[in-house]
Amino acid sequence: MKVAHAVAAAAAPAGTTFTVVSLLTGMIWGAPTWGTAFTWDPRIVFQVVMLLFFFGCLALRSAIDDQSRSDRATAVLAIVGSINVPIVHYSVVWWNSLHQPPTLMRLDKPAIHITMAWPLLTMLLGFTLYLVYIILTRTRAELLRRERGAWLREALATEGAA
Amino acid sequence: MKAFFDMSGYGVYIWWAYGLTLGVMLANVWWGRRALRTARIEARRRLAMEEQR
Repeated sequence: MKVAHAVAAAAAPAGTTFTVVSLLTGMIWGAPTWGTAFTWDPRIVFQVVMLLFFFGCLALRSAIDDQSRSDRATAVLAIVGSINVPIVHYSVVWWNSLHQPPTLMRLDKPAIHITMAWPLLTMLLGFTLYLVYIILTRTRAELLRRERGAWLREALATEGAA
Repeated sequence: MKAFFDMSGYGVYIWWAYGLTLGVMLANVWWGRRALRTARIEARRRLAMEEQR
């Protein structure tokens, strides 16, 4: 459970920055394609809500000094925020949206040409591995910050040997 | 070459999006490594203090 809190603390900054990237690159793309950088489209709105949850998690974690209380409070907010994930995904199905309906994650065969599907899937794999690297690096830092005594001595000795 | 960068007139949008994404990716690597370096230094200091006691 201690490691889960450390992973949550490590994942929040990466999640926040990538949500910002998705919104900003969407705006850059939307300007020539839709003729507007921002509109009150359901997917965009719920993506902004997601960003607010990320900001909330970061702020809450740094606002509470007591480690275990801060962990628990942030975990509750993260669980509530995770309800937003399927809403972001299905927002294009449930409401009228400028975004196209799902092209890959659907029951029917993918509505994307194979020449575009492969680069997309390759990028998906690449970004996933990249995020795993970022989260593991930060989790390592977070565990070193939290631990004490024999475990820490052993961890530092292993790191020194590596 | 010019056609590649021009991207049928959408080059300015596409390269900005690529640049922004790459910038955030590099920043995340740098932040992560800096956090690990700081955590290591602080952990060594904390351990030394614990052993002194």
